[in-house]
This record gives sequence, C-alpha cells and structure tokens, in this order.
Amino acid sequence: MNRDKNLPLTETTYYILLSLLEPAHGYIIMQKVEELSDHQVKIAAGTLYGAIENLLKQKLIQSVKSDDKRRKTYVITDAGKEVLRLDYARMQHMITMTKKLLNL
Amino acid sequence: MRKIKFFIDFDKEEKWLNKMAKAGYQLESKGFGYKFQQAKPEDTTIKIDYRQFKKKEDFIDYLTLFEDSGWKHIAGTKGSGTQYFIKAEGNSDEDIFSDKHSKAAKYKRLSEMYIQLTICFIPVFAVLVSTDLIDINALYNPKLLYLTEGLWDRSGTDFWKAFLFETPFVIFRTIVWLFIPASILIYLYCSYKANKLYETNK
Repeated sequence: MNRDKNLPLTETTYYILLSLLEPAHGYIIMQKVEELSDHQVKIAAGTLYGAIENLLKQKLIQSVKSDDKRRKTYVITDAGKEVLRLDYARMQHMITMTKKLLNL
Repeated sequence: MRKIKFFIDFDKEEKWLNKMAKAGYQLESKGFGYKFQQAKPEDTTIKIDYRQFKKKEDFIDYLTLFEDSGWKHIAGTKGSGTQYFIKAEGNSDEDIFSDKHSKAAKYKRLSEMYIQLTICFIPVFAVLVSTDLIDINALYNPKLLYLTEGLWDRSGTDFWKAFLFETPFVIFRTIVWLFIPASILIYLYCSYKANKLYETNK
C-alpha cells in the first residue's frame, strides 16, 4: 500500500493544520492548538516557527495577505486538507480495530 | 561592561548569561563579544535560538511571534544568527521550544552556517595559492618565506643583520597567509562540534 509520505502526522502538526482551516497568525495558532487539544498540547514559539516553516515547504499551508504588518497569516491548502483527511482515516481505522479487539 | 567569550553549546551560553544577570549584568547587545549593562540582580530565563533572515519582514514576524508569547528579544539582528530572548513576566513557558527535535534543530542550522563559511573561504584560499600569494611549500620549508636573495648563503654578522631585518616582515606575511587556512580549519571544527550537539540532542 502506498501511503502519503506526510503520514502519520505528529500530534502538533495535526492540530496546527486543524487550527488553520481558518486563516490565523502564529500566536492565534498557539492558542487554538491549546484549546483544540483540551490543553494537552502547548507549542512554544521557537517550535511553532520551525513547524510553520516546514509546513510551508511541504505546501500543506500557505501565507495569505493580511492587514497586520507585523504578523504573517497562514491558511491550510487543499493538499493540507487532504493530508488531514488521510490521517483522520488512518486514526479511524486504529480506533475501529482497538474497539473491536478490546471489546470497548 | 564588555566580555569576549565564545560558545557553540547554547545551553552553556544560556547558563552563563543567567549567571551574569544574577550578578547584576544584563545582556545589552552581542556583536564581537557581549555587552552588558548594570542592572538589578535577578533570576532570569534567557533562551537562545539560531536563525538568520533574508527579509526584514520575516525577522519582524519572527520577533512578534516570540513577543506575543512572552519572550522579549534582547539581542540579535536580522543576519546575526544567534537571537537572545528573555522570559517576560506572566509567561508560564520554561523554554522557547516545546519538543526535543526543534530544540536540536538550531544546532543543525548553526552547523550548516559554518559549512557555508568554509565553502566561501575555500575559493579565496585556492585563488591565493594559484596566484602564489600563498606558497604551500613554505609550510614544509619556512626558509622560502624570506625573500632576500642569497640570504641563506651568507654567514656571520652579514647573515644575522639581514635575517633579523627581514624577520618582522616574514612574521607579518605569515600571519596574513595563515589567516585563511586557519579560518577554514576553525569553521570546519565548529561545524563538526555543532553537528555533534545536534546528533546528541535530537
């Protein structure tokens, strides 16, 4: 089976992509990730900056124009959404199998 | 107060800067050496990142992200590489990195910068060698560094006078000529050290 080379996503990357379904700048991403993960995932500034750089390189997110001169704004790309769907399906399968075998 | 010190290991540098702050010296800027200003002694958390920026807007965006999340930028410029941050009040984070891999990645960037410096110096070295400004053979035979004709055939006072007269010029020429190969070796060594820190921390 040929799996997408971006899979599996790390928990951090998954939440960053999820938080960029709507355009946001760095600090908003940090807050959204914390909120979406029920305060389980906190990304520090240096780590987020590197993660954004990588996601831009992989073309899973792109920067968009904004009025804010000091902060760059990003949004998920179609490729990014596709990767999210694929990773969701991967985890869904894991959940199905776990449920079945652990009789949950 | 100015201090000249050199670090490759950012953890050690951070510890030293925190110790200086505790002794009442706060980092003001970093250029060739560290410049401190006297301040109230305090317990600080200073963290270092390594990044160079091509565009000014990228640098501003980077700094704003750190300041938004409670890290005040105290030293470093767009092209300086090392960026110094101090934890602001009300910030509950202990570090500017939240995972091991991104923390180690700054050593990778540092190592790559030294490789680039090495690569820039090699053609300069090659040109100096090919135009005979640097004579490789003089490494084995320092006598070649003396340009006075027939110097080594002379003897007695005549020899010593000419020898001592020329020696300061030889030393000066040698320093200039050693500068480039020595730089190349130092850069290579730093690159190796930084890469080792990357490997052990990742």
